Amino acid sequence: MATNTNQVQLNQAAAPEGFESWAWKWMRYSGLLLIPLAWGHVLIQDILVGVHAIDLDYVALRWASLGWRVYDFLLLAFAFAHGVNGLRQVLNDYIRSDTTRKRVTWLLFILWLVLSLIGAAAIVGGVRAP
Amino acid sequence: MESLKLNILGMARYRGREGQLSFILHRLAGLGTLLFLAVHILDTSTVYFFPSLYEHAIDIYRSTPFMLGEIALVFAVIYHGVNGARIALFDLFIPDRWNVETQRKSAYWSLGIAIVLWLPAAYMMGRSMLVHNFGL
Ligand code: HEM
Ligand code: HEM
Repeated sequence: MATNTNQVQLNQAAAPEGFESWAWKWMRYSGLLLIPLAWGHVLIQDILVGVHAIDLDYVALRWASLGWRVYDFLLLAFAFAHGVNGLRQVLNDYIRSDTTRKRVTWLLFILWLVLSLIGAAAIVGGVRAP
Repeated sequence: MESLKLNILGMARYRGREGQLSFILHRLAGLGTLLFLAVHILDTSTVYFFPSLYEHAIDIYRSTPFMLGEIALVFAVIYHGVNGARIALFDLFIPDRWNVETQRKSAYWSLGIAIVLWLPAAYMMGRSMLVHNFGL
């Protein structure tokens, strides 16, 4: 019987539209967007500037321009949602029970929401005097 | 449930020889970056919530073990990105080109490109570590 790779491909192309199919696309499109976003951030902060030159004043100076706040906000939104959904997919590879999967998904959703809100609050609120 | 199964079967197709290696590297790099990012969101948000703590957090990142960790983190972000782009481009635009031969070749290309991009970054970060932490 036809067990070549093209056959497998055809079967997969028939995947129904739904949450998992949407998540699958999300991982790919957000990933492509993260190449400029995450790489740009790491290049500037970690490679060119370096942790020894980073302090409160440095962050205050950067966040003085709206452009970098928007950049950081997009990075926060895309990188963390991509990463947490990735973790969900990894865990789904190992969890066999449907109930556990549902619980883990809720747990991850809450984790994502809380950390995203904390990070967004910092970007909106900005640097405060110590 | 059916779509979940399909998804898992789909991921399973990244396994086997070179594919297996890149599957594991991609997974570990993604999870490692996520772990860093979760901590990083919290330490960055101290600039608003507890500004006096921020410099303490950055002090930790300046220590030698953490700087070595950052060099590894940069490799993870680069490799996961290159390999993720490979997966995304094949899946979205040329799915009919997924076969054992193209996968094997492109897996090696991802690793090669990632190492070439990482070496200059590792050099700069390594030099910065020697200058600041060892007075070179
Ligand atoms: C070790 C390397 C890194 C350094 C030194 C670094 C440095 C910084 C600094 C100084 C800020 C404060 C805001 C600013 O100056 O723009 C920041 C914010 C941020 N970084 Fe990084 N970063 C690093 C790696 C990463 C990576 C790998 C990611 C993503 C995967 C990331 C994602 C973010 C996000 C989302 C924010 C905003 C956080 C918040 O709203 O609380 N960073 N980073
Ligand atoms: C730099 C650009 C990035 C690209 C092009 C990218 C691409 C991808 C793609 C296509 C997948 C799906 C793999 C699959 O379904 O087999 C994926 C999975 C994943 N990504 Fe990313 N990603 C990027 C950045 C990040 C960042 C910054 C994080 C961390 C916050 C991250 C964490 C993850 C995790 C945990 C997974 C799940 C791994 C697995 O299923 O084995 N990624 N990535």
